[in-house]
Amino acid sequence: MNDSEPFAGKPQPILRVKSIAKAFGGIQALYNVTFEVATGAVHALIGPNGAGKTTLFNVITGAYAPEEGQVLYENSEIQGKKVHEVVSRGIARTFQNVELFGSMTVLENVLVGRHVRMRCGFWGAIGRWPRVRSEEREAREHARELLDFVGLGNMAEHRSTDLPFGWQRFLEIARALATQPRLLLLDEPASGLNAVETQQLGELLLQIRSRGITLLLVEHDMDLTMGISDRIVVLHQGQKLAEGPPREIQCNDDVICAYLGSDQEMSG
Amino acid sequence: MRKLKYGFFLLVIMAAGLGITNSYYLQLLTFIGINTLLALGLNMLMGYAGQISLGHAAFYGLGAYTTAILTTALNWSPWLALPAAIVLVSLVAFLVALPMLKLSGYYLGMGTLGFGMITFILIRQWSTVTGGDSGLVGVPSLALGPLSLASGKAYFYLVWVVVLISFIVCERLVDSRVGRALRAIHDGEQVAAAMGIDTSRLKIGVFVLSAIFASVAGFLYVHLVSFISPNSCDFLVSVRLVTMVVIGGMASIWGSLLGASLLTILPESLHVFSDYEMIVYGLILMIIMIFLPQGLTRGLLDLYERSAAVYPRKVKSREPADE
Amino acid sequence: MQEFLQYLFSGVTNGAIYAVIALGFTMLYNATGLINFAQGEFVMLGALSMITLWKGLQLPLPAAFLLTVAVVALVGLLLERLAIRTVRKPHPIVLVIITIGASILLRGIAMLVWGKDAHSAPSFSRLAPIEIAGATLLPQSLWILGVVLAIVIGLQIFHRKTMTGKAMEACAISKRAASLLGIPSERMVLLAFALSAGMGSIGGVLIAPITMSSYDMGMMLGLKGFCAAMLGGLGSSWGAVFGGMMLGILEAMAVGFFSSDLRDAVAFFVLLLILYARPSGLLGVKAVQRF
Repeated sequence: MNDSEPFAGKPQPILRVKSIAKAFGGIQALYNVTFEVATGAVHALIGPNGAGKTTLFNVITGAYAPEEGQVLYENSEIQGKKVHEVVSRGIARTFQNVELFGSMTVLENVLVGRHVRMRCGFWGAIGRWPRVRSEEREAREHARELLDFVGLGNMAEHRSTDLPFGWQRFLEIARALATQPRLLLLDEPASGLNAVETQQLGELLLQIRSRGITLLLVEHDMDLTMGISDRIVVLHQGQKLAEGPPREIQCNDDVICAYLGSDQEMSG
Repeated sequence: MRKLKYGFFLLVIMAAGLGITNSYYLQLLTFIGINTLLALGLNMLMGYAGQISLGHAAFYGLGAYTTAILTTALNWSPWLALPAAIVLVSLVAFLVALPMLKLSGYYLGMGTLGFGMITFILIRQWSTVTGGDSGLVGVPSLALGPLSLASGKAYFYLVWVVVLISFIVCERLVDSRVGRALRAIHDGEQVAAAMGIDTSRLKIGVFVLSAIFASVAGFLYVHLVSFISPNSCDFLVSVRLVTMVVIGGMASIWGSLLGASLLTILPESLHVFSDYEMIVYGLILMIIMIFLPQGLTRGLLDLYERSAAVYPRKVKSREPADE
Repeated sequence: MQEFLQYLFSGVTNGAIYAVIALGFTMLYNATGLINFAQGEFVMLGALSMITLWKGLQLPLPAAFLLTVAVVALVGLLLERLAIRTVRKPHPIVLVIITIGASILLRGIAMLVWGKDAHSAPSFSRLAPIEIAGATLLPQSLWILGVVLAIVIGLQIFHRKTMTGKAMEACAISKRAASLLGIPSERMVLLAFALSAGMGSIGGVLIAPITMSSYDMGMMLGLKGFCAAMLGGLGSSWGAVFGGMMLGILEAMAVGFFSSDLRDAVAFFVLLLILYARPSGLLGVKAVQRF
């Protein structure tokens, strides 16, 4: 699984993060973080707890505006843009603690993901013109396809929070995919999954990559990370500690040192 | 399936209209209809989108006063006054919502309360136009061409047809891209934004929609009783509206009907104990919110589900759009 | 000049009342993150209880004062224990509606107990009004200012010097951290409710001699006290005092120089202005997202 083939993606990196700095009150959560994500790659962001990984996600998606630095997505600056705008440009994310819409069914959750690619507004919803109806039909078809893709095809009508936890994570991924992203950010997708589910997750992620979607994931599960990533960035106390292919990172003394004291083994 | 439901509802309306001859009951049912409209609109805002408005009586009042003023002082036809009232209220709601919906939770509640109070005070003080504390009288009744709608029965039909249309509008809205987005905002606004939903725009939209419902209700009310005073749109009325939504069940369209019915009938039956009315109101509000925060409809359903549950139940999904 | 002074005096007097009500809001908000719509009813209960105990039962002034505050603080305690703590889902809307329900309930009870009539109370001291530069200052105003000042100083001492006070501050800053340090946050919440109710009642006690008290006086006072708290900044005690004074003076000026019809509207205009322009208030901290 650990191949070092050159990527067939576009030459330009899909995401460039330059000298990002973000502070909260007196705490410097991120400082001088710079790296690139190649189009079509699976890129991982690792680091001990509190390293600033989720904060970085929030900066990329627009939830936070950085004090310094830029985020370039497909060559345009997006730092500080509104979250929903960033989504419409093609970046989607999942959350560390699964954040499903509890009042809605599994299918409806995925349909919400589809929101940004639909056009029906208040008038259309009330009027139910033919164009609105066919848009809704298509959306439902695509949503069901996505559910099949992640393996939840026959759970469509269940309430989303009735699903077992592992399946909720997959649902979140389906929902994010519904936004038709070109870059998918996954925040600890394997957290809480058992061994079988983690294996399925890994396969799913590679299948997503083969659909042309670039992946950037934050993960603590080293087996998974080392197994599927093309490149890894290590964050420690808000700064980039190291960057490189998995094999390099595993042998990097600084990285091992940063992780010292935690139970994680750098295996793979 | 849904059309069957509405058809049945229509039959019930017709039957009630034909069967009920007691004019007091007929008028009571008409008031229930008007209150249902109010509750429906507010429910879209509170129940589905998860916002709060403690000043909604202001839109009701604005709708009522606009049509009252236009039809008495300027002799407009009510059917012209209605769109004028809707446009005015939409504008006001939009201007209020713009800055206000950036706030959340308590701040939004307080902001809407402040807006409601200011509107109420302005209505009371601008006596040259609004008649001040005494209000306005002599508001003409409605007529469709030569057909007068002044009779209790005709007005009953009018109001309930409008209610039926509103139900359809709301159900369509809920089961659509917009409705899902609203429910997403309710479930988690930040997450909704992360799914690409322009939350500000939607919140403003649903706020304006609920204001329009309130103004139509105000219009219908004024032309029924031919009189309006500031008492109809003070803070306690706003509280009553919120109570209707809360009791009936937030995010439940038929719950609006339940809540409106209960809160129209209750004061009538409590008149005997008018001294206790406030205590009962207060207690009802508190008890329901403490034990059944999702309102009676959802709350009772939940209790039923929990007691009957052995296997995880399939939630009935809403019907697809191609009915 | 004389007119201006007159307005200033009445403005400062009312302002002090608003300040004490605002302090109740702020204290509760600081300790719990809650806004209690029933705060105004504590003021009303304070006023009416005072009248009953002092004028009706002829208890000596200090005793009536203390007993009133104790009784109303108890009501606040009951509210927390029965209504707030038992809530399953503390969603803001739910809590807002509960406290609104509580305010209606309290008003209903007050109506039964005291009727719909307005009651009056004599001044605390039988001194004659004081003449200053042609304007009249009621001695009651001095009482009001004095008591409010004492409260503010007392609160400062409470928060800075006593363990309980510091514990409450800690809860306000971070409930989780506080409980990790062994501070019983539930008890803090209870205390905060009792204290804010007590403060509201003091406002009522102070205002009873200069206004007619009735069962429905609470709503407007509560709302205005809230506006004052927002004006100064919801998390800040000094903000509450400042906001209260400002509101009182603005109101008096509006009434004096424009029209008395505008009196009630001033508070709400101010509220909306603050919400739009600077939700954290004039003296407050920037944390608006808290809910």
